[in-house]
Amino acid sequence: MTVGSLLAADLVIAVLAAAGWLGGGAASAARRRPLARGLAAVALLATVVRAITITALARAGWWFAAEKVLIAAPLSLAAVLVAGPRLLRTPGDPRSVAVPLLFAGYANSAALLVTVLHGYPASAGAGLLAVAGVVTATAVSWRALNARPSRAVSRAALVVAVAALVTGTGLAATPAAAPAVPHDHEYREARTVGEPTRRFTLTAGTATVSVSGRDVAAWAFNGQVPGPELTATVGDVLEVTLRNRDIARGVTLHWHGYDVPNSQDGVPGVTQAAVLPGQEFVYRFRADQAGTYWYHTHAVSDVGVRKGLYGVLVVRPAPVTGVDVTVPVHTLSGLPLPAPRTEPVEAGTPVRLRLVNTDSTTHRYALAGAPFQVAAIDGSDLQGPTSLVDTAVLIPAGGRYDLVFTAPATPVALFVDGRAVYSTGPVATATGAWPVLDPLTYGAASPAPWSRFDREFTLVLDRGLDLHGLLPRYAHTVNGAADPDIPPQVVRPGDIVRFTIVNRSLVVHPWHLHGHHVLVLSRNGEPATGSPLWLDSFDVRPGDVWVVAFRADNPGMWANHCHNLAHADAGMTLHLMYS
Amino acid sequence: MRKALVIVTTVLLVAFVLQFVFAAVGAFTRPAGDGAYALHSVTGMAVIPALTLLTTLFAVLAKAPGRLIGLAILPLGLVVVQGLIAMLANASTDAAGASTPFGLTIAGLHALNGIIAVHVVVSVHQAARKLAHPVPADTTPVTVREGEPA
Repeated sequence: MTVGSLLAADLVIAVLAAAGWLGGGAASAARRRPLARGLAAVALLATVVRAITITALARAGWWFAAEKVLIAAPLSLAAVLVAGPRLLRTPGDPRSVAVPLLFAGYANSAALLVTVLHGYPASAGAGLLAVAGVVTATAVSWRALNARPSRAVSRAALVVAVAALVTGTGLAATPAAAPAVPHDHEYREARTVGEPTRRFTLTAGTATVSVSGRDVAAWAFNGQVPGPELTATVGDVLEVTLRNRDIARGVTLHWHGYDVPNSQDGVPGVTQAAVLPGQEFVYRFRADQAGTYWYHTHAVSDVGVRKGLYGVLVVRPAPVTGVDVTVPVHTLSGLPLPAPRTEPVEAGTPVRLRLVNTDSTTHRYALAGAPFQVAAIDGSDLQGPTSLVDTAVLIPAGGRYDLVFTAPATPVALFVDGRAVYSTGPVATATGAWPVLDPLTYGAASPAPWSRFDREFTLVLDRGLDLHGLLPRYAHTVNGAADPDIPPQVVRPGDIVRFTIVNRSLVVHPWHLHGHHVLVLSRNGEPATGSPLWLDSFDVRPGDVWVVAFRADNPGMWANHCHNLAHADAGMTLHLMYS
Repeated sequence: MRKALVIVTTVLLVAFVLQFVFAAVGAFTRPAGDGAYALHSVTGMAVIPALTLLTTLFAVLAKAPGRLIGLAILPLGLVVVQGLIAMLANASTDAAGASTPFGLTIAGLHALNGIIAVHVVVSVHQAARKLAHPVPADTTPVTVREGEPA
């Protein structure tokens, strides 16, 4: 069982336990003794099973189980100790066990709410608020059931509830001194990189584009989705003028995966101001990394990219030989892009398919009809790639894979989620059952360039209630906080930095650090044994623990965020800065 | 206070009706996206829980019988379960993010639980009306106890 499904199972069992106790309490209040006993037995069974799931989660990593061990376990234990003995006795009135059973239900519900609303890090504040809630609910039930507790018990309950409430609120409200990203900085001037050798102009504006024969309202660069493909050869100096015609919320250009100087990174409010209608901004940087990259707006990025403000950036080491095709996959208004394309390719021709995922979710790509190699991932060439047949690849949101093969005499087709996108002729192959390539075990290994780390950060990804904004929201969180309250990570130039990224949530988080490529060290405790993987976008699946490292060699203030852009908008964004 | 209880249960019932409408809005919005269910999410995660708590508070203040108070708070639990079902259904996708039969089965429970919740609210509403307008014939006037600490 994967840790991800264990997390889901634990949640279901916790709901069953809480519902069992509460239902038992209600049944006994209605004097239905057999039903009450049956439901309580379900709750007891669920509690026992939960002890197993919590233990398994704790073994997978303390991050997954902390609040379950420290808050849920004591509350569940109290529930069993209070409700259990009462059930065994057979007094005259079945209503007499209603309050203990309801107490058990409240205790389990409170623990469940802690996990769902503020699970990580386990905090005394959340625990005390849970206790306050349980005591209050029990006291109210006690009164409502007309079986009034003695004055001493009432007073004790009141004192405990108020004390827990006050202390809990105090602890929860105390600001954790989040040194927010300084916003008073001036945007630094672009570095001089020499005279431009490649000039482009991108004009952002609303447009109507045709997709699969339907007219779709979009936001587009130069009136087309995707925007123009920008190409360069290593050594070129690119100058890209961005103009905004009528995107009221502003646009920028972020060079996804291209480790440009900080001032050219295109993050509004951090490296530049958003370009508003009528304004322009000139990006200039040297193309010194070969490979497949893409550009997109980083202003209102969730809506902007989804509506079409993206395009491909390809930097080649030398002029093209053979066939070189880019396949930027996107979903525009529910319709898949690009349109299917068929071109005959002469047998023996080398073909390179540059696959780009510009959506916010993972896509599955399958190449049928020829053995192929994965030559590069996220722009970086792999070492010793072996030949693959009947194998699919999963590309995370924002990620790129370059597949290379020699065209055979028979047709070849690329399928994306089962849809043929590029082919050299008719191919009818079912690719749905193919195994998926694990890049961590693909290619030839070489020793890690570093053995010690100067800085270590752990990022625990989860969901949680965020009360810091104007309106409360159920945010996507990092270490229990949501943007802009996540403390920035501070590194010094030259540091070797190690990230441990843990996904406690039930959804995939494609992680993306700007300005740097990270080397994958391990996933779920298993070291990467294949070719060194220098990634800028990687899927941290539910229950996953990724350990990655990089050299801090590109000073500035960098966004470090989930590339499911809706998650980034909902709080899952932080910053890496240099001291 | 009993009239107020009837009013607030009516509002809660209307919120539930709208919640079904918003679910349909989400299902038929084109292009489908996470934003399609925004109204449904806000109503489910904020409006309905708040109204449920208000109903329970009014039931306690109106000195309603324990059964009615219990029924009044029940939708809160069901709504939490409702949110968890949606989370689990969204999480039960294959590696490329497509739905799986298991995930869709879980998603089906979201509809069933919704039907149960709306039935509970209808019962609460009816009980509240009965409490506010006890059958006039051959009943003794209800003595309203006042000033008792809640």
